[in-house]
Amino acid sequence: MEKNRIKILAFGQLTDHVASSGFEMDFVQDTDTLKERLYENYPGLKNLHFSIAVDKKIVNSNTHLAAGCEIALLPPFSGG
Amino acid sequence: MPQRVLKFSKTMPDSSIFVHGAISADDIANAIQRLSEFQNIGAHSIFIGQVRSDAIEDQIVSAIDYAAYKEMAEQKALELISETVQTYQLNTAMVQHSLGMVKSGEICLFVLTASRHRKSSLEACAYLVERIKKELPVWGKEILEKGGHIWKKNTE
Repeated sequence: MEKNRIKILAFGQLTDHVASSGFEMDFVQDTDTLKERLYENYPGLKNLHFSIAVDKKIVNSNTHLAAGCEIALLPPFSGG
Repeated sequence: MPQRVLKFSKTMPDSSIFVHGAISADDIANAIQRLSEFQNIGAHSIFIGQVRSDAIEDQIVSAIDYAAYKEMAEQKALELISETVQTYQLNTAMVQHSLGMVKSGEICLFVLTASRHRKSSLEACAYLVERIKKELPVWGKEILEKGGHIWKKNTE
């Protein structure tokens, strides 16, 4: 993967709109910008509720992204 | 000297909480059997989650296809188990969850808590199941008998 790209994992109902194996986007600095870009590229995500995890921790406010971090989009959990 | 606290385990057969497909009744029997060597245990409580054949707008759910953010889920499960063992002073706690297809009527979740006395094992089991349902990054896709799917929603 090129340095200026980021890999994003997506799960659950989000995979009706993006690839379940994940996808790449141009690097963005923080999670608020990430959300804006996601909504531009995948308008179907706008109506869905999801949290963002950075390096496996859910972030609740705008968070700076470092190169090579792991981003995951997590809709409400429905295990069990 | 009798062992007071058994090291908690995430699972029965290996170090992962996940098993591919349904959890068998044998797996559960084996877990219970294994604990008989720890003779300071006085109570086991178990929760067994089974795939329910819901009817959704005259469509029948025939299976649930489970997917997980595995690394995060393993990490989270370990945190939840260890917290529950400490809070309720358990001898041990175990969690197993299915990945992939589990047909209606089959078992998709197994949680066991064991302690000296019934009260703590019963309360800990209910507590751990709730935390798992709310906090484990696992998703269920309900497969409909006539084709298509609906994303599972967990109730309170």
